[in-house]
Amino acid sequence: MDIRSLIAAQYQAHVQDFAQSAKFQHLESGQLSGAEVDQFIANLCQAHLKSPQILAFLYSVAPPAAAPAIQHNMLEELGLDEEGICHPDLLIDLAAAAGFDAAQREALIVGAQEHLRTLCTDPLMFGTIKELGLSVLLEVTCFEWMLSRLASRIGQALEVHRGLSPQSLAWFFHHSEVDIRHAEEGVTSVVDYLAYYEVEADELETILDITFRENIFIKRYFGAIALAQETHMLEATP
Amino acid sequence: MKPVAATLMALRIPFVEAFAHSVRSRTYSDSIVVRLVLEDGTVGYGEAVARPYVTGETVESCLDFMGAQIWPVVQQTDYLAPPAATAAGLGWLQAIAQTLPIDPAEGTPGGVVAWNAARAGWELALVDALLKAEGRSLSQILPPQRSQVTYSGVITASSVESAVKMAKRFKQFAIPHLKIKVTGEGDRDRVAAIRAAVGDAPSLRIDGNGAYTVAGAIATCQDLAEFAITSAEQMIPRGDRADLAAVQAAAPIPQMADESLITLADAEALIAANACQWFNLRISKCGGLANTVAIAHLAQAAGIRCQLGCQVGETAILSAAGRHLAAHLPVEFVEGSYGKLLLSQDISRHPLHFGHQGHAPLLTRPGLGIEILDNHLETYAHQTISLHL
Repeated sequence: MDIRSLIAAQYQAHVQDFAQSAKFQHLESGQLSGAEVDQFIANLCQAHLKSPQILAFLYSVAPPAAAPAIQHNMLEELGLDEEGICHPDLLIDLAAAAGFDAAQREALIVGAQEHLRTLCTDPLMFGTIKELGLSVLLEVTCFEWMLSRLASRIGQALEVHRGLSPQSLAWFFHHSEVDIRHAEEGVTSVVDYLAYYEVEADELETILDITFRENIFIKRYFGAIALAQETHMLEATP
Repeated sequence: MKPVAATLMALRIPFVEAFAHSVRSRTYSDSIVVRLVLEDGTVGYGEAVARPYVTGETVESCLDFMGAQIWPVVQQTDYLAPPAATAAGLGWLQAIAQTLPIDPAEGTPGGVVAWNAARAGWELALVDALLKAEGRSLSQILPPQRSQVTYSGVITASSVESAVKMAKRFKQFAIPHLKIKVTGEGDRDRVAAIRAAVGDAPSLRIDGNGAYTVAGAIATCQDLAEFAITSAEQMIPRGDRADLAAVQAAAPIPQMADESLITLADAEALIAANACQWFNLRISKCGGLANTVAIAHLAQAAGIRCQLGCQVGETAILSAAGRHLAAHLPVEFVEGSYGKLLLSQDISRHPLHFGHQGHAPLLTRPGLGIEILDNHLETYAHQTISLHL
């Protein structure tokens, strides 16, 4: 299997596990409680509010061939591209539409920043920035891959079952269109990264294994306990 | 200083991946956390890990002993503040440990081997609280003898494919020492594959968790010796020390006592029987900091080499206590501090897990040196027992 196919297969499997998870299916079928949906919205906002900062990190380690795409992606997130839509603002609009008051919205921003802080203060397991950068790039591009395939479905579920207006769900619909391109560019960025930093196939395989040891989508969007129930680490509550 | 209230919380923190050895497979941490409040309002945290196949304690019986037997004594005791002189620190730890009651049935047939996890949980909570009340660190009581701690990786009992995958992760992280759980089935293939995956540099140890007979242990050690195995931990079940001595005498790999080493009396008997070359010390198994240090001193005097082990699924509390002890004692291998590498979420604000090359810094903040997040405890507690005066 060539490298591009290997990465795409990993992303596909990860996305499929997410789409087939009990929580995702409950979201789509309207079986989540209102509180669970609100928690999902909060988790999703926290997962993506600091995307520009993560992309800025990736831009700083990107090889020349991948840098323009990552830079464009970052500027797009910040609303500094030709469209001028700041994506974190779309997330805050979503939270507001879902009934999060000013204090709750501020808490989402603080939580996202705290997550970023944790990323910076956690002991590093990797020995080089090259390895860390690859792991982050894999995670970010896998998110783009997932959003390009599932964002519309998530947005639709929130519209139907949570009664949110299409305007408030702009983040999902925006990503579902834009990230089809981003998803493909993302895999290309990874391939460029591997070539530039001369990452061996064996090392890539190990870093893929480390990065996707847990389903990042279930954990970030639905929480650690939901993931543990999905993977049978904990019994699901009846 | 008197304790005025305490809470026992039985946790279920899911693992990222199942962890298996020859006795059982685990998918979540079942630690018991003690949240202790002193009369000045200072809060301290301790942790007990009950293992029926080690000390005989179950989570249920441990909770019961902690609440019904230990709390009545603890709440009536006026504990001394930690001493200013470092030299008096060990005596202070021992004085705390000595207040924790012994069950007359301990060690008798049909009873538990020792309520060591229960006592360790209370001892750690008391030490944490009493030190925090004075703004002092455990590192002032157990002064570090090294500038950082280097941890080992542990490869769970699993298929060859999974074991190699795990070994490659540890290689990527440049972990210098690895321990492999062996079960008596396919050991040679797994150990050979792991050695091939990580190369010659990392040291390898094996741990049988008592899965072998004497003859089986000797044969397995003979079979695996070519892979440069540093030690073989608890290959046969806890029992007659002469059996372990027989394995030690005949096997080409130095033997390490784990489940055979629970009490100070065990340590004395193992030394007298020349039963092993290594001790695996564990805080929860050995009954807390004071008892673990006492066993370590006994080992040192007898020329026994030591590893500081851990409990699978321990949280940041036992990891922090282990960090202090690992820095203080002349141990050659250290396990634990896996934090989010194993737990889906840990309970401390600052991560305790080690980093690249297994390195982790010393802890110098007051008490055990960690900040426990009560909301995380609440999230993962499936049973909570409030204790008051």
